[in-house]
Formats: sequence, C-alpha cells, structure tokens
Amino acid sequence: MSSNIILDIYKLKIKVFFGSFRASKTSLALLAIYALGFLPSVFGFSLMITSAVKQENANIDLYVENLAAVISGFISVILLLALRGCTAYEYEQSLIFTSPVTPRKFLFASLFADLTESLPFTHPIFVLFGATVYSLGIEPPSTLMMFFLIIFFIFMLLFLKISLSILNSLYKRLWLKAMMLVFVILSLLPALAGFSTGFPLRYSLLPHPSTFLSRFLINIVYSKSSQLMDIIGLLSYFIFSLALFMFVSGKNFFQHVTYIPFVSPFDTSMRVQTLKMERTIKTFSRTGMVFTLNIESKSLLGFLMKKEMLRMLRDGSLFSVAFFYIIMTVVMSFTSISGRQGAEVPIYAFFIFFISTYSLIVPLMLVSNWRFSEFENIWIPLTSCLDPRLISKALLYDFMLIASLVPAVVVLILSVIFSISPLLPLVLISSTSIVGSSTNLYLMIKFFGKKRRSTPSFLIGWASMLLSGLLLIPTYVLTILSTYLKLNDAINAFISIPLLIYSIFIMRYFLKKTGENIINIEV
Amino acid sequence: MMDRVIELLDVWKAYDGVQALRGLNLEVYKGEIFGLLGPNGAGKTTTIKIIVGLLKMDRGSVRVNNFDIFEEPYGYKKFIGYVPESVSLPDYLTLEEFLIYSGKIRGVPNEQIRERMNHYINLFELTDKRRALILSLSRGMRQKIAIAAALIHDPDILILDEPFIGIDPAGQHMIKEIFNERVKDGKTIFISTHMLDTAERLCNRVAIIHNGQNVASGDLKNLQQLSEVGENATLEEVFLKLTEEAKEPIIEETAERKRRGFLGLIGRKI
Ligand SMILES: Nc1ncnc2c1ncn2[C@@H]1O[C@H](COP(=O)(O)OP(=O)(O)O)[C@@H](O)[C@H]1O
Ligand SMILES: [Mg+2]
Repeated sequence: MSSNIILDIYKLKIKVFFGSFRASKTSLALLAIYALGFLPSVFGFSLMITSAVKQENANIDLYVENLAAVISGFISVILLLALRGCTAYEYEQSLIFTSPVTPRKFLFASLFADLTESLPFTHPIFVLFGATVYSLGIEPPSTLMMFFLIIFFIFMLLFLKISLSILNSLYKRLWLKAMMLVFVILSLLPALAGFSTGFPLRYSLLPHPSTFLSRFLINIVYSKSSQLMDIIGLLSYFIFSLALFMFVSGKNFFQHVTYIPFVSPFDTSMRVQTLKMERTIKTFSRTGMVFTLNIESKSLLGFLMKKEMLRMLRDGSLFSVAFFYIIMTVVMSFTSISGRQGAEVPIYAFFIFFISTYSLIVPLMLVSNWRFSEFENIWIPLTSCLDPRLISKALLYDFMLIASLVPAVVVLILSVIFSISPLLPLVLISSTSIVGSSTNLYLMIKFFGKKRRSTPSFLIGWASMLLSGLLLIPTYVLTILSTYLKLNDAINAFISIPLLIYSIFIMRYFLKKTGENIINIEV
Repeated sequence: MMDRVIELLDVWKAYDGVQALRGLNLEVYKGEIFGLLGPNGAGKTTTIKIIVGLLKMDRGSVRVNNFDIFEEPYGYKKFIGYVPESVSLPDYLTLEEFLIYSGKIRGVPNEQIRERMNHYINLFELTDKRRALILSLSRGMRQKIAIAAALIHDPDILILDEPFIGIDPAGQHMIKEIFNERVKDGKTIFISTHMLDTAERLCNRVAIIHNGQNVASGDLKNLQQLSEVGENATLEEVFLKLTEEAKEPIIEETAERKRRGFLGLIGRKI
C-alpha cells in the first residue's frame, strides 16, 4: 500500500516533468541531437583519461587530487542548492501536501524522481564511465564495484541535499547556513593546489568524502587493494546522510516549504519563464534605472535598439553576459598559472578555445532571455503599424553589439596581462557573435510559429548552437591553422577580411529569413 | 447607415483541428459603439485577433477603413488601437517609458506623445506612478495603461477584448465616459463581451456570434423581432434564444447552408 503511494507520486512527478514530450515530436528529435551532441566531447575526455592512466610514470597522488576536486565540485553545487531551503512546486502543494501522504513517502518519491529527472543531463557521466572503463580494459567485477560506488555516492548526495534543505527551511538558523558555506569553501579550497604546488591544503590530507571516493576509485583502476580507511570513511558519511534523511523525513515540513512555480527545462509554458523573469527584473531594475528610455531619438531603429538595451540591462541579460566572462577570465588566469608550471600548455591555444566556446553561448543567452521577457509582449509592436522587420533588425544589431563588445573588453585586458596578440581572438569573437546572433535569433523566431511553439527553448538553443557551429567552421579552421602554424599578425589580418565578409554575408541572409518569419508570427 | 469601418466577409479560421470561425460576416459602422457578443469559445477573441493582425485567417477578407488587411498588412494598423483580453506589458519599462514606446512605434510625433501621455496619466490618476516600473503596478492599473497606450495615436477605431474584466466600478465608469467622448468625435469603439447588461446599456449595435458564425446582428429592437421573444425581452433572453437555436455544431459547409435556408437567421443582415 505505502509503496504504491510512493510509486504514484513518483509517476505523477515524472509525468509532469517530461510532459512536453508528449506534445511535440520535434522536442524528442532535438533531445536526441542534444544527447548525441555530448558524445564527441565525452569520448575525447575518456581518451584523455585513458592516456593519463596508461602513462608510464603516472602520478597517482595527483590523480587522486584532481578527481577529488571534480567530486567536490559536485558536492558544493548540491550544498549550494540546499541553501535555498526546501522548495516544492505549486502543483505538489495542491495535489500532494493537501492529501494524507506522509512527508517520508513524499521524500522517497522525490528522491527517485530527482534521479530520473537528472538523467537527461547527467547521462554523459555514465557514457564517460562506460567508455573509460572499456578503453582501460577494467575487469567486470571491478567495473561493477566502481559503478555501485558511484550510485551509492549519488544517493548519499541526494540524501544530503534533501535533508539539508529541509533543515534549512525548518530551523532557518544562520549558523546552519554558515556551516554549509564553510564546508563548501573547505571542499573547494584544496582544488587551488592544482594551480600552485606551494598550496598547503590538499584533499589527501582531509577526511573529505570526495577524497575517500576518489582514492577508492583510483585504487581500483590501478588494481591496488583498497584501504580500510577509505571504506570506513565513505560508509560513515553514507550512514550519516542516511540517518539525517530518516530523521528529517520524520518531521512534518510541509508548512515550511517555499513554493515555486513548476519549472521543467522541457516546460514551454511562458507563464513560468515570465515569473522567473519578474524576479530578475526586481533585482536588476534598481541599477537599470540610471538610464531611461528617452523620447528624443534620431531614428526609429535607434530608438528600438535603445529600448532593447534597456531591457537587457534591467532583466539581467547584460549582467549574466558580463558575469559569464568574468568567470572565463578567472578560469583563464588559473589555467595559465598552472600551465606555466606544466610548461607545455600553450596559453594562447587555451585562450582561443575558451573564447570560441564562450562566445558561441552568449548569443544563445541573449536570444533566450529576449524570448522569455518579450514573448508575451510581442502583441504590442505586432498590432502597431511598425514593420516588424525593423524589430528583428534592432534586436540582431543589439545582440551582435553586446556579444562582441563585452568579450572584446575581456580579450583586450587579458591580452595585456598575458602579452598575447589580441587580433585573432577579436576576429574570432566578431565572427562568432555575428553568425551566432543571427542564427539563434532566426531559429528562435522560426520556432515562435504556432505548430512549433511547444518545442522547449533549451532544445531550440542546442539546434542553434549546432547550426552556428557548422557555419563557423571556416572561422575555426582558419583560427586553428593560424595558431598551429604560428602565423604573424600581418597574415592573420589578411585572412580575417574574407572571414568577416563571410560572417556578414551569413548575417544578412539570416536577417532576411528572420524578417520573413517575424511577419508570420501568430500569437 | 454610414461608412463601414470594419467589414468581415466569409472569414474562416481553424486552430489545428478546432474550427474557430466558419464563414463569419461582420460589419461595424463609423461612430458607433459596437458589441461582439457570444458565449465562451464562440470565436470573439479569434475574430479580434484577425482584425488587429495577430492571427492570419484561412479564408475570407477583412477590410478596415477600406484597406484590405491581407494586401496591406501594416498600414491599416495606424487606424486601430487594441487592448487584448489578458494584458501583458513590458514589466521592465516604467509607465512613462512604455507610453513613449507605444507612441514611437506608431509614428506619433514627440509633441503629441507627451501631450496625450500627460492627458491619460492624469485622467487615470496614475500621476504618482509615472516613473514606477510596470512590474510594480496592479492588474487594474495595467489595464488602464494598456488603454492609454491604445489611444496614444488617437486611432479611428478602438478595439477591446473583454475590457471590463478586472477593473473596478469607478474605472469601468471612466472607460465608458471615454468611449462616449470618442464616439461623439466620430470615432468607433469595438468591444467583445459576454456581459450582456453592459452591452445592453453601452452598445449602439451588437452582433451575436456562436460557433464562429454571426447568428444575428443589429440593435436591440431588431434582435427582439428577429428572435421572436417579444418587445420587452432583455438582451439576455434574445441571446439565449438565438444561441440555443444555433446550438448543434455545423459539421460541413453544405449542411450549414441547408440550415441557413431553414432557419433564415444565421448570418442575415439587418
Ligand atoms: N490557440 C488555440 N489553439 C487551439 N484552439 C483554440 C486556440 N484559441 C482558441 N481556440 C478555440 O477556438 C474557439 C474560439 O475561441 P475564442 O476565439 O478564444 O473564443 P471566445 O473569445 O469567444 O471565448 C474555441 O473553441 C477555442 O477553444
Ligand atoms: Mg475571448
């Protein structure tokens, strides 16, 4: 009986989460593209690991440190999520919390639902595991052992996440949050050792769960016998989290839950996205009020561009782009520092790599944010006598401007710090932002169409990234060639010109296509 | 009567599978307050969205101020102000910025934007909210702002989809005043509603639509005669009688034509 209720709740949650797939076949196709899109990088990664493991004089201690750092990253994310306190969706409040279901049964159902729901996003981990185990030729018993260890650890993380968030909601104590934050910092600090050999704190010195797991796994890989310490350590963490979970699930926490509107990444309902947007507007409008939309404007295009700029300032789009690049700068600095020690990591190549991936994502961020905040408002220009093609033009120009200016500033700063020539990175950025913005905007507006509207936007995003990636192949090829052949700036400048012309040609083509589609939007 | 400002001829519209409009005919004349009546799902919102250009019709023709909206899809919109059923506004703009934006995209000169903006902000008593983000305003205030935006270019025709929902009685009164003022100036008001008492008091002429067809149109007297419910009947009684008679959904065009001959009512012009 009781397991039946758990199963029912589980089924309900899964149905709600994956609901949009029943509405749209396009979503399924795009999901497949998304899932496959990961594979190349996963296999590349697995090759890297394999070759590292098979090295003659492998530094096992270093591998333990690195793996522990990665695992700690996961733990930190989980802890940070738990800081929000316990949240539940509105439909759960009205359907489940008002029924006689006990908190414990609800929590068990949630636990398994969380696991299932994360699969579309975490599957690369399992593919990576399978590929690595295969290419290392690890024996089936060891493989099974590792697999169960990982599952076991995932359960531990979920127990911790659920219990800590409920504790946070129940007691709202500052020291609890502070303790969790301290633990997060403790989890991440030793990772700095990867950047500087002089850093005193190391995972191997800490009784940290990620240390135990990492050492356990790597010992299996190298067919060493596991240390009793690791087993006991891991087991005690697991028992602790399970005990905490059982304790917390006995509490009636339903009144203390914060309700959030249901947000599935597959959910296309604009209401949800608009609600999320409202919160960000509240946060960012304070700073955004410094600028106002002025009535004086020379051209209508200029006015529309200003209005969209203001939106991006106030809905947090600009902030997220800037933040994105700040993270990139930090990562860059770290990798280059550690690169100097390793002596063989070419800073320049790293630089190019980061710039190209980052600047591919930025147009997607900008276009998605536009859809979230403007979808419901598109009726306003569409019922005015304004030619809607002017809107797509204003949008595209703004996106290209932001997507190239912000990274350009970062590139210029970094190029001074690391004394690298900024020419090629700047060309790469311009080309990516021009092509990326126009393809992203085109697909987003195309999918506005009535039939395709039920396609989740993150899947549209993947399709756009794929399309822009393909169209940018000439840019990538030339950049790689130039880096590889160590061409000088004069030659680089020479090859940049046709590249930029090509990008602008692509932009004009998609702008025309976007215009044709925006005319036919039905809302 | 006078000039036709809106004319729908045999308009058809289907949403994947659902036939929302089935050969709708409609006429709206200059200087009247016209009410589009019909039960839920009759096709009122669909009709209005086609007129303002948010939906494309499958078949038929629509003329606004004698412009064929299919042949000239933007220009005619300068004659139209539109307030949708559920108003959504750019939350990130202030009230003032939004009205400026609305004026600008309709090509209104700056001076007139300022003048009308001030006029409507005062009229709707929103002076202290001028520089507030729309995000922070209540539903009723948003509705008023949407009406102000729809009037910023002083359009010939104001089209409102269920305008009185969510507005307090004082607000409703003010809106009716605005309607009456505009009609005096020869402007036209087009509203859709299912609130029959409002329609009865406010509208000069109504059309009752049902299952995407014009069941009857005219003033109250015409409708009373047409539905044979007697002279003292209210619009509600007329409405119920007419929509009752047209209840069975029409499956195909030929069947529909037979019914039309039989009832002699559907789509008849008065
Ligand atoms: N986006 C849509 N998709 C499918 N069917 C719709 C859509 N919008 C309206 N309909 C259907 O079209 C018919 C007319 O709807 P609508 O014009 O909104 O009616 P009203 O405004 O008179 O209540 C209804 O049967 C409704 O269910
Ligand atoms: Mg309606």
